[in-house]
Amino acid sequence: MVQLLSSDNETFTVDKQVAERSILIKNMLEDVGESDAPIPLPNVTAKILKKVIDWCEHHRGDPVSQQEEINDRKRLTEIDEWDQKFMEVDQETLFEIILAANYLDIKPLLDIGCKTVANMIKGKSPEEIRRTFNIVNDFTPEVRQFGIISHCYFLAMLST
Amino acid sequence: MLPFAHTPDRNNSPSPTNFGSAPSSASSSVTSLSSNVDMDKPLISMDSASPAYAQSLPSEIIYSILKQVASMSDVYSCSLVCKAWCYMALEVLWFKPGFQSTKTLSRFCSLLRQDPSTMTFLYPSMIRRLNLSNLSEDIDDPVISCLATCNRLERITLAGCTRLTDNGILSLLQLSVGQNLISVDLSDMTNVTDTAILAIAEKCPKLQGLNLSMCKDSQERSDSVQIHDESIIRIAERCPSLRRIKLSNCVHLTDRSAIALATHCKVLLEIDLMNCNLITNAALVAIFRHCSELREFRINQCKNISDTAFTQSVLASKPAGVFHQLRILDLTSVNSITDQSVAVIVQAAPKIRNLILNKCDNITDESVFSICKLGRHLHYLHLGHCDKLTDRSIIQLAHHCMRIRYLDLACCVQLTDRAVMELAILPKLKRIGLVKCQNITDDAIFSLTNLSRMTNSLERVHLSYCVKLTEHSITHLVSSCQRLTHLSLTGVQPFLRRDFQHFCRPPPRDFNDQQRSLFCVFSGKGVRDLRAYFNRLRLLHGDIAGAESHTLQDFHRPMLQSLQNDTVYMEVDGDVDGDGDNDIEDMEDV
Repeated sequence: MVQLLSSDNETFTVDKQVAERSILIKNMLEDVGESDAPIPLPNVTAKILKKVIDWCEHHRGDPVSQQEEINDRKRLTEIDEWDQKFMEVDQETLFEIILAANYLDIKPLLDIGCKTVANMIKGKSPEEIRRTFNIVNDFTPEVRQFGIISHCYFLAMLST
Repeated sequence: MLPFAHTPDRNNSPSPTNFGSAPSSASSSVTSLSSNVDMDKPLISMDSASPAYAQSLPSEIIYSILKQVASMSDVYSCSLVCKAWCYMALEVLWFKPGFQSTKTLSRFCSLLRQDPSTMTFLYPSMIRRLNLSNLSEDIDDPVISCLATCNRLERITLAGCTRLTDNGILSLLQLSVGQNLISVDLSDMTNVTDTAILAIAEKCPKLQGLNLSMCKDSQERSDSVQIHDESIIRIAERCPSLRRIKLSNCVHLTDRSAIALATHCKVLLEIDLMNCNLITNAALVAIFRHCSELREFRINQCKNISDTAFTQSVLASKPAGVFHQLRILDLTSVNSITDQSVAVIVQAAPKIRNLILNKCDNITDESVFSICKLGRHLHYLHLGHCDKLTDRSIIQLAHHCMRIRYLDLACCVQLTDRAVMELAILPKLKRIGLVKCQNITDDAIFSLTNLSRMTNSLERVHLSYCVKLTEHSITHLVSSCQRLTHLSLTGVQPFLRRDFQHFCRPPPRDFNDQQRSLFCVFSGKGVRDLRAYFNRLRLLHGDIAGAESHTLQDFHRPMLQSLQNDTVYMEVDGDVDGDGDNDIEDMEDV
């Protein structure tokens, strides 16, 4: 078993195998060796850490995926049912999970989080995207930006 | 001029006067359009001071999200959302620009030619991958020189760009493009010489993949292959991270190149020396000594290689399994090797998936007994022209290597129905080649369709010149194997009748009249139409239960027109039955 300490000082006890879904923790354990001291995770709150541990528990038996699937854009947007349910959270939590997955280096969880956000973007106009995520349009009215956008446009047309 | 006036979302964009001014109208209706989340839950605080998570994310996370956006037009929309997203969206959009026409390519080039100081974003630096092979006819030196500012380019494919010369490659590398290049594909670029390769060696220290394969046409005019040891040795010395190198048909290369690569590039995973005729045993001894990570190794048609290369190398002396990464080994036409080599190879590389021994006609049943030790690892086996093989070893093979998907036994003339009947138990068999196995009768074909598993997996069946076959077994094969997409029956008399030929694909252009008259290959729609025709015939004959009945020996005999009596063997290299199926073409399982 391994003890994990959240940023708000809550301790979680989890199976070593489960904790090692996080490459960060795996490397720490390898560096430190066997120890009873809890591992401090100063970037993750108890609320999010609990979610992340739930995910790792559920996926404990998954094969560690290789890099093969990276090129397959089509398949990337599919999320399995359990994960879809898991990601049905408010936006703040969703982004916190993504940040935690990034910090803890749990690539499959990061991917699922990013896919969830990507699915929220699908088919929306820029203004709809801003509204969805509460994003402020911070472009400055420089004429030059017409250039940027036309270049974007040009490439968007090329690449589809 | 309003900045966004010509963009497709002009109706949705806030008026330009809002640009840059803090909270725009956007924040007042945050939740109204979020489709993927529960509308009843408070999503985020309506307080305009609340952090917009999506905007303040670290750029690497924004990039990860945008990379998951499947459609480029959605990525494009993201580029118009805010500054932080714009840059990352551009990185995604420019990551691997594709060009469908010369027109877009030339627009792209004129964009790249702009003075970088006038660009708001450094577009050339965003390009990581380029594949220009689909416009190979239009790629010349000036086009390629435009790319010299793409200083983060990682992969470039210029396959078949025959107009491109050394000057183009030199101008591409004149600035810092080489710094990040990890993969360069110059295959079939007949105008490229050692000069360009030497420049790559000097400028691309991170190079991991280099493809210099030349097509067969150029190999026939050996003066058109202009790559020599000198440049390949320099690549070996300067690019220690090299993992994959393809040099097929680079006919001037000698052992010096191969030995340099083996000694300097310790992490080589793939080496292709197809038809590098000057390569000898010494090269192989060095490669086996240094490159134990090897995954794919092709030395087909290197006729100077003999048993010594294997039996006197570390393959024989190191502990068994030292080449446990090796998956693909192609020894086509390395025909002096014997059973001894095969035994040593299997011992050293127990997990070979694709083994090609086509035309290694000195090997006997003993080799196949060795191959049996590969067990479930073996998926693809080519034993064409190994005419010493008998039923005895093939029966063993069927029982030991149950995961074989592709098996070619063309011209293994001693094989009989017994071997095929045993092979019929292979549960994953997709393709089987039995061209010119003239002892094979209808019984063998009936056995192939006995198991429903087999009828669900078989896709390609090559039976040309199996002269004892009749339409009984073939009708049954076609009707029961629903996945069948390719069936070759060239030279099989009962199929040389007009009604069947109707569904056959046209013979290759270079065939003479006699070859044409024997040609009989069904593929794709042809197979489906043939199946439908068989069904109609069956109904016509009132045989609703199916034509599989063995007892109807002379079922169609009256309709048979004998068109040709002598069998003429024709052979295109690697394509025994001239059915255009190069038999090694499909490696999709690798």
